[in-house]
Amino acid sequence: MKAKRLSEASWKNYLFLLPAGIIYLSVIVVPVLYSFFISLFKWNGVGEMEFVKLDNYINLFSNDKVFITALKNNLLWVILTIVVTMTIALAFAVVLNKKFRGRTFFRGVFYFPCVIAPIAVAIIWRWIYNPNIGFINEFLELIGANFRQSWLSNPKVSIFAVFAASVWQSIGQPMILFLAGLQSVPVEVLEAARIDGASGPKKFLFVTVPLMKETFVIVIATLIISSMKVYDVVAGLTDGGPNNATQMLSTYMYSQTFQYSNVGTGTAVACVMVLMMLVVIVPYIIFTAKED
Amino acid sequence: MEEKKIKILKYMFLYVSLILISIIWIIPIITLIMTAVKSKQDFFSGISLFEFPENIEWSNFTNAFTKGRLLTYMKNDLIISALKVPLGILVEALAAFALTRLNIKHKTGIFIFFLIGMMLPMQTALVPINIIYSKLNLINTYFGLFYVYIGFGISFGILILRGFFKEIPKDIDEAAYIDGCNKLRLFWNIILPIAKPAVATLVISDFLATWNEYLLASVIINDNALKTVPAGIMTFVGEHGTDYGYLCAGVLISVIPVLVVYLIFQRYFVEGMSGAVKS
Repeated sequence: MKAKRLSEASWKNYLFLLPAGIIYLSVIVVPVLYSFFISLFKWNGVGEMEFVKLDNYINLFSNDKVFITALKNNLLWVILTIVVTMTIALAFAVVLNKKFRGRTFFRGVFYFPCVIAPIAVAIIWRWIYNPNIGFINEFLELIGANFRQSWLSNPKVSIFAVFAASVWQSIGQPMILFLAGLQSVPVEVLEAARIDGASGPKKFLFVTVPLMKETFVIVIATLIISSMKVYDVVAGLTDGGPNNATQMLSTYMYSQTFQYSNVGTGTAVACVMVLMMLVVIVPYIIFTAKED
Repeated sequence: MEEKKIKILKYMFLYVSLILISIIWIIPIITLIMTAVKSKQDFFSGISLFEFPENIEWSNFTNAFTKGRLLTYMKNDLIISALKVPLGILVEALAAFALTRLNIKHKTGIFIFFLIGMMLPMQTALVPINIIYSKLNLINTYFGLFYVYIGFGISFGILILRGFFKEIPKDIDEAAYIDGCNKLRLFWNIILPIAKPAVATLVISDFLATWNEYLLASVIINDNALKTVPAGIMTFVGEHGTDYGYLCAGVLISVIPVLVVYLIFQRYFVEGMSGAVKS
């Protein structure tokens, strides 16, 4: 009789969800919906709100060159992240999955920038890129290479300079996910492939990678999500400059809202970010829910 | 014999390349330390980055504390983290408990609903939170900041804890009920202690995320006396020109607590994260 109480359906069960539910609704759900509402108005944050329907969105896509630049930069950032960050993280994970002395030390070295505040990372790299006495230019001079330049104020290279700092910081997370994925590949399967005569690279490509499908989905999804949101490292290094060369949706949203008081436009940018995220989120959630 | 030679060569190649890459990885921290102890004279005499500074300048560090108010920022950040981390985990664990062990309708639907928050950019909530907080006088309060932090942490916390709770056998619940446990005691005395590894992972990742958060902190707090470390460090930039020695000393000090936490709990990072993948 008593054991039955375990599965009893009671309104009391829902009380356990209540605190999380209230906080989640008030911090995430209501504000996001409120944002969509504000994005339909022309508003400077203090005065009258003028209802303009979808004009803010139409303006962004048809007249706003900076927004289009930010959109392109952000997409470039997503692609760079998936190609460069993921490849390096996978390579590190494969090497550091081998058994050899000191691998814990090397894992630690590649992971530790992850724990530093992105804004501190930005400050450190701003110093490294300093055109006069920064490490990179000094080093190039030391080895006699003639590439000396101001990395952050040259619009052609600035986005890649900021991205390099971001790679340094963010390689650890996907590396650890890949390490966990590699460890979940059964040894017997790899052994069987070896006996069947599969060479190292072949074995990796046709046996290991397919078995790590789930890990790849998680890594790609989290990388896309985090690179769509990228803010701190850009804000701290270039704040979108020079001449919008590193402008991202997040930095543009921030400057429109809090510096130029175009609150309607700013929230519209934020809402575009959400809509773009949904393209990634929906398939990812379907995948995660299916796993159960 | 030949084979052994090739193996040794392979290992040498592995070590040499790993050491080279590690040096590249550590350079930013080395330049940070070297700059933090550099005196103003050394900056102007154009001493190279590759030479050790002639006289070590400890005043950069004392300046970071006195002029830079770094101690205040660290105290604020510590208070916020000490409130956010345990309260957040408690709230998440209660929800994860209900989603895995209680008779509730639409479990998957509710879980997905909570999951969506993980993907939403903070920017989307920024303006409304600012408006609501201004009305409720929550701008420049500890409560205002850690409350939104809990909100933004809920999705990840529920994801991790639900994954762990699911793996705990249901027999335990039965036995506990027969012994006269109610639901709350089952949660607090039995399930939560079993979930220690997952909780430990969350404590660490939550602490880091809270300690390092910049965007919300810079919008909700603008009173210098209440700023957290990331927002506070930004006041170092440009406030007195950019004095790099002083700035780097500040950044170095702000990084130390995080590195200490990392070095102590390093094991949990890898294990905890692999748990996240398996769930």
